Amino acid sequence: MLKKTLKTISGMIAAGVFSVSASAVLAEVNFEGETVTIIIPFKEGGGTSRTFRFFQPYLSKYLPGNPVIQLQHMPGGGTIKGGNFFHDNQKTDGTFALATSSSVNMQQATGNPLAKFDLLSYEPVLSLATTTHWVTHADLADGPNDVSGLLELPVALFPFKTAASADLFHLWIYKTLGIDGARPIPGLSSSAGYQSFQRGELQMASHGTGNFLKKVSKDIADGKVHQFMTLGVLQPDGSVQRPSYSPDALTFPEMYEKVHGKPLEGAEREAYEVIAANWGPASKGLVLPTGTSDEIVDAWRKAVEEMTKDLDFMDAAPKNIGPFPVVIGEDVRGIIGKAVDLSDASKQQFNDAIAHYQLTYRIE
Amino acid sequence: MFMSALTQLFQISHFPYLMAGVFLGLTLGILPGLGGTSGLAILLPFVYTFEPSVALAMMIGVLAPTTTSDTFPAVLLGIPGTAGSQATVLDGHPLAKKGEASRALSAAFLSSLVGGLFGAIILSVSIFFAKPLIMSFGFGEQFLLIILALLMIGALTGANFLKGLASCVIGLVIGTIGLAQITGEPRYTFGTLYLVDGFSLVVMGLGLFAVPEIVSLLQSKSTVAGGGKLEKGWLRGMRDAIKNWFLIIRCSTVGVLVGALPGLGGTVVDWIAYSHAKQTIKNPETLGTGDIRGVIAPESANNAKEGGALIPTILFGIPGSGNKVLLLGGLVLVGIEPGIEMVTTQLDITYLIIWSLAVANVVGAGLCLFLARPMAQLTRVPFFILAPILVVLIFFATFNNGRDWIDFVALMFFGAVGVMFKTYGWSRPALLIGFFLSSKIELLSYQVSAAYGLSFLYRTGSIILIFLALGTIFLLLRQKMTPDGRSTVEEAGKQTLFTCFLALFPITMILQVVALDFRASIYPIALSGVLLLLLVSIAGLQMVQQRPEMQRINDANMALRTMSRNIFENHGTLYDQVLAFAMIPVFLVLVFLLGFPIAAVALINGFILMHDRSKYLVSIIVSAAVLIILWTLSGVLTLQYPAGIIADFLPLPWWLGGR
Repeated sequence: MLKKTLKTISGMIAAGVFSVSASAVLAEVNFEGETVTIIIPFKEGGGTSRTFRFFQPYLSKYLPGNPVIQLQHMPGGGTIKGGNFFHDNQKTDGTFALATSSSVNMQQATGNPLAKFDLLSYEPVLSLATTTHWVTHADLADGPNDVSGLLELPVALFPFKTAASADLFHLWIYKTLGIDGARPIPGLSSSAGYQSFQRGELQMASHGTGNFLKKVSKDIADGKVHQFMTLGVLQPDGSVQRPSYSPDALTFPEMYEKVHGKPLEGAEREAYEVIAANWGPASKGLVLPTGTSDEIVDAWRKAVEEMTKDLDFMDAAPKNIGPFPVVIGEDVRGIIGKAVDLSDASKQQFNDAIAHYQLTYRIE
Repeated sequence: MFMSALTQLFQISHFPYLMAGVFLGLTLGILPGLGGTSGLAILLPFVYTFEPSVALAMMIGVLAPTTTSDTFPAVLLGIPGTAGSQATVLDGHPLAKKGEASRALSAAFLSSLVGGLFGAIILSVSIFFAKPLIMSFGFGEQFLLIILALLMIGALTGANFLKGLASCVIGLVIGTIGLAQITGEPRYTFGTLYLVDGFSLVVMGLGLFAVPEIVSLLQSKSTVAGGGKLEKGWLRGMRDAIKNWFLIIRCSTVGVLVGALPGLGGTVVDWIAYSHAKQTIKNPETLGTGDIRGVIAPESANNAKEGGALIPTILFGIPGSGNKVLLLGGLVLVGIEPGIEMVTTQLDITYLIIWSLAVANVVGAGLCLFLARPMAQLTRVPFFILAPILVVLIFFATFNNGRDWIDFVALMFFGAVGVMFKTYGWSRPALLIGFFLSSKIELLSYQVSAAYGLSFLYRTGSIILIFLALGTIFLLLRQKMTPDGRSTVEEAGKQTLFTCFLALFPITMILQVVALDFRASIYPIALSGVLLLLLVSIAGLQMVQQRPEMQRINDANMALRTMSRNIFENHGTLYDQVLAFAMIPVFLVLVFLLGFPIAAVALINGFILMHDRSKYLVSIIVSAAVLIILWTLSGVLTLQYPAGIIADFLPLPWWLGGR
């Protein structure tokens, strides 16, 4: 009798423990009936907004419980408004996330005192790469991968938005490459800059992957324009590869070696990696709040992984997010770290470049 | 390309939205006061949730037919539905009084239709010549084009050209608020995050254009009066239009040309067409007494100008008129950038715009003809029902734009500015266009000096532009200066005071930026200086006008006389305006207390019942409908409405303003 009772009780306890643990697992990774909010610190219609609108249905499909995914756009203050809102309202139940981009990275990297957020403290889910391509007019170079003509020009103009943005990297690139005649024409986005380049007012221009494939590659095919360099694709192991769709163009480190006759090293290499991370793999990202449990973080990462294996996704991805693979999980932490955590030597490199072009802005 | 755009036009992803836009545009045109500019401002916050082609269809759909349907209030009530139909009132309303409203309307619709198509054709032809033109337009030419555009709109959109120019410069100075373009230093932000990005175009558009129209709607208490009844005479009106086909073609040409002048269009084109008719037709003395030709001329011109105004908008990114500012904002939002690509890689989009414009015009005019009777009834909706709905609508559009509480305050502020500007005859389109182009001018001035220095002035394109623009300004000014005499002077003291009050803005701006880096401060300081100079001149002239003994000197001097023409202008008294405007802050307080959705219900019920106790059924139905729409939209747009204090005590669902 007693035995039987004990057996029943232990059975009940076991069942209870089992059901508790089962429901605990369910509660942690099931978003059924819930709404997941992704803060987009930009206006609707921008690159980050478009990327995550593309992800939206797939995330809903593959997150456990198929939650409603809502994109909450919070433009303002150069991503600071949205970033700070995320920082101040962190909910660790997995229903609250922040979309990042190189603009968000730069606010932290340059030490903007208004930015309260710390990207390195969050739990990274994914990141997405692009790269950058530099071109000049066909009559200024002997074919592709040649800057000898540019090095001799007394004045070579390039488009430049403002020093208080990721565009400050252009200053460093041209200075480090040794193009002494380079002068920034301020206030030009890369699109407006390319138009002006086409009119012949500028001697050099650059474009990110998307617009390179859409606009620049046609001018290259027509023989009007030569590509002299890409930023290169920074790998997790620190090596730099040429982008798969532009295999013949030299990367920045290769061009540096060609011009200066020595490899890119030391503080310059460090500064380059900051740029390569910001304009490369860290150009788009998704993070969850600090202290989100491992189960939830894993559920997110698993959902993203399943998303990238979805046939529809694979079909539509090149057109919507470009040719680069989505990076998932802990690797992202290192990438964001490279993009936002600047050593004093790197800051010095960038500030020297800004000063070289007589601009007043400085990184803190 | 031309044909593939046509097939795209009729695709399911495009055509229904174009039609939806057309309906919205027609409705907005009929409601007195609200026009394409307010319509686009309301639409814009939704635009980027759509696909580019859908968004495009909606925007063109809204823009094209407002200049057709605005004929209803112009003819039936004698109130211009949009700024473009002011001249239509002159002959249209007398015709309606004679019992020939139907004749006037049908003639107007037919000439609108032809004018609109004419504009679309010219636009598509000009695309072929655009490529070399754009390629030769460097920084210098763009800079000149914008400066000249600003001069033109400043000089021509206001009744007094000094006040027009000053309005324009005020817009330019407002445009410098936010981070400095070159150095990234904050200007005039007072340490707030809100002002770091500067003011939002949509909020300004709604404040400057929609709010004042609602205020004057409240004030005039119109729309219940006589209008809305239509008799026969449709065929006669169409015969009139056909008989005057040559006048339609001439005025359409005028419309396209004036529309294509960057920055202009909109507000002056109907007057220019009207005076063209006056100078060229036989027995012009009947104009103004109910002559059908006085309806045909401005109506064909103001539809044709839509096509013309798209030329600088699409090709150079310089808005052709007030509503094109918002269209341009919308285009950029959906990823369509004006410039060379519009005639090369994105040519299909350009053709899609042209086709949409043409079709929207045809459908708009067709609907107006066939649905004239029910549509005319819309002009009879009493103001006390219409006004609170419109207030809720613009608040909603404002919130959806930035999803920021402070936008409401900015809306109220620019609403007040708009009301004052409208009351005392300052130019609102000039202010909006100036604001929009300000950052562009600042950047271009740096770009020009970095790339060319002063040598840009000697480029062939620059010289041609300068002569072209000076010639146009001269011709237009002369035409503008000939008619009307001195305006009635009311509240002269208050008007002068307002002029002085405006001067506070440039003065504080100078004080705020003077300590900044030279590259951040030079532009706002230079503009503020020009503005102060203009304001001082205006205030001076206004004071002179108030002293009879000084007036003789004024009258003897040609230059002084020209400058002080219409220096005073009045539309209603200040007291009435303030009273009618009070609805906006009252609603704001309600929102603060109750949250947005409940406040909307309270406002609609309260306002309607305050004016007519017996209309409780109407107020309940209307507010219930509004609530359902708000609920639906909050789901569709994932929009969390501003919560009021009440949400701290009551657990409300979030679509009702819960936290």
